[in-house]
Amino acid sequence: MVITWRLFGGLSLLFPLGAASIVGFVLLDQVRWLPALVAAAILVLAVTWYPGARYRRWRWQLTDLALELRYGVLVHRFEAIPYFRVQQIDIERGPVDRLLGLARLQVTTASASGSGSLPGIPEEQAPQVRQELLHRAAEAIGDHTGDVHDAV
Amino acid sequence: MPSDLPPPPPPPGGGQGSVDDADPSMAPVEAEAFVQPRRLHPASVVLGIPLIQLIQALIFPLFAGLAAGGRVTLVILAFMAVFGVIARSLDWYHRWFSFDGEVLRVDSGVLSRNHRSLDVARIQQVEIHRGPVQRLFGLATLRVETAGSASEPEVDLRVLPEGDAVALRTAVRVSKARLAAGPAADADVDALAEPERREILRVPMRHVVLASVTGARLLVLPAVIGAAFQFIGQQIGAFMEDWVERAVEAGLTAQEGGWLTAPDWRLITVGAVVAVLLAVAFAAVVGVVRDGNFRIEQVDDDLHVTRGVVSTRESVVPLRRVQLVEVQRNWLRRVLGFSSVRIRSAGGSTGGEGRVSVPLLHDERVDRLLREVLPGVPGIPTLTPHPRNALRRSLVRWLRPALTFVALAWLVPAYVEVLDTGLTPWVRGAALALVPINTVLAVIEFRNLAHGLTPLVVAARQGALSITTTLAPVVKVQAVTSRRNLFQRRLGLTTLHAHVAGPGALVEVLDAGVADAATLHARLTEHAAAPLLPADEEELPVRPVRADTPGSVPGAVAGRSGGGEPETA
Repeated sequence: MVITWRLFGGLSLLFPLGAASIVGFVLLDQVRWLPALVAAAILVLAVTWYPGARYRRWRWQLTDLALELRYGVLVHRFEAIPYFRVQQIDIERGPVDRLLGLARLQVTTASASGSGSLPGIPEEQAPQVRQELLHRAAEAIGDHTGDVHDAV
Repeated sequence: MPSDLPPPPPPPGGGQGSVDDADPSMAPVEAEAFVQPRRLHPASVVLGIPLIQLIQALIFPLFAGLAAGGRVTLVILAFMAVFGVIARSLDWYHRWFSFDGEVLRVDSGVLSRNHRSLDVARIQQVEIHRGPVQRLFGLATLRVETAGSASEPEVDLRVLPEGDAVALRTAVRVSKARLAAGPAADADVDALAEPERREILRVPMRHVVLASVTGARLLVLPAVIGAAFQFIGQQIGAFMEDWVERAVEAGLTAQEGGWLTAPDWRLITVGAVVAVLLAVAFAAVVGVVRDGNFRIEQVDDDLHVTRGVVSTRESVVPLRRVQLVEVQRNWLRRVLGFSSVRIRSAGGSTGGEGRVSVPLLHDERVDRLLREVLPGVPGIPTLTPHPRNALRRSLVRWLRPALTFVALAWLVPAYVEVLDTGLTPWVRGAALALVPINTVLAVIEFRNLAHGLTPLVVAARQGALSITTTLAPVVKVQAVTSRRNLFQRRLGLTTLHAHVAGPGALVEVLDAGVADAATLHARLTEHAAAPLLPADEEELPVRPVRADTPGSVPGAVAGRSGGGEPETA
């Protein structure tokens, strides 16, 4: 996963940083190289330090109520997606993921912004995790035969 | 997917007869009338596409034709008219809809056929819309939305005879009510046919005017006025140009040096006053046309919202589908003691179809409306203010853009010579003025930050100029996110989002204390995982907590993303 992040972090920053450096170089008179230097520093950090830190911060767990995700380096995020609200679970595998034998689990709820994504699951485990999630989701709904059988 | 299917409804015909008997006025128009696939009203050949789209489609060929000159224009226009009518007729001929009491089906398309089925239980909102032309001919558009439709209504039946539209909506409502009541409801069908209508709210016309005059639309008025002038200019272009030119000339001769170099303040003042007056009048007219005759009624468990003077719009929001209620008060309305209220369901196509806005409401009536919209909720709950550290964040939030602006105003002209113009001192002055203004706003914002949680709703308040209190029923919370950035971590603050269904629909608790936010997070997660309607609460006070099964799926229950080495929580 670290490799993937390294790759994509670097690539996705290349364009905006490059553009900023060029604009700075063209527009500024005295400190033309400063933007380019800053951009290079950011790029180096994005490739070397950030992916590792991100990896070390990533945690997820299945509690008895919800799928909980904790991640984020600069902004710490803590998400809880109750099984009862899970609408859909996708397994995604991009080309790099496939090379590295990884998969991403996309857990969707009725709220677009309240949906979670679980990157870097070893591919042979992904279906199991998905099964487990589905099982728990089904069980959670089974508990609610009363008035609330519709999660939306 | 996991939300299980509703119990199978009774066959559509069952008990239908008694419906007809009970209410003769609806007799011919109940669900049975729609079992056979039907076409829309033939007028939809012409009225089937919105006017704006029609204009957009016509404008380019029209100009091209005009540019090409006389006879060619006629030929092109005739060709387009014929082609358009044929295309629309084919579309009408091949568009069928039916409703069998359970599923709403729409088949359309000439070359590629498109079949759409919509389960009654999934419907979030039904809306009947009558434009001015449609009203003239007794026609209407019926829109049906479900959760998750992003940009367009799921089903848009345009146009139907008005009676059919109302009948179809009634049929949908009766089916839904029957579904909700379960198979045992056959006996109650009589009751279903006679809906209990109760007016909840009516906004008097003067409030509508006041709302539009104090509304956010005033802020975009310069653009509106500009567009209006452009429009007028196009209409009477030559005359105006002549007039303006003469005026300019007069101005130039009256004052040596002309007014481009030395602005005449009197003229500018008069112009500004006229512009503001025009803007206010314009806003009032637009507001009245859009929101006049605003009325909310409760029919069974649905909210019927009617509004509009020229074109009327009637939306039905099932009470159980209300996801979010926003009480908004901008500074002008605060002074006058008014609020506006937005009610959002998950049927959220953009452009506000999924939400209903009450233009203006006396502050003391807000709680009353909330009681109706969120049954069991006594009003805006008591809110806990946020810790003092949040003030520092507010200051940062407001001063950062101001200071950035100041810095840019000084640095950019200094380093980039092209941009160093005569305006520089003005820009710098404006930038400096922003600093004290934003400081005051930051303090106001901090004072308004608050959140609250009752067994039924979660609420949060924020905003400086316009203060918004957002309420969401806890049973609607889909997921909970807490986030803390570098600075929030240092100050011991957390921003919490409670997500509900619908695009961008969430309750944001900005900069709450860490402990508070953690409690809120845990409790909301519990609620979301085990939603209990108020009625259930006595019967099922505690949901049995299932024993967790760590290790039952090795490495899958808890782990570290990417590594896969199992790590039991």
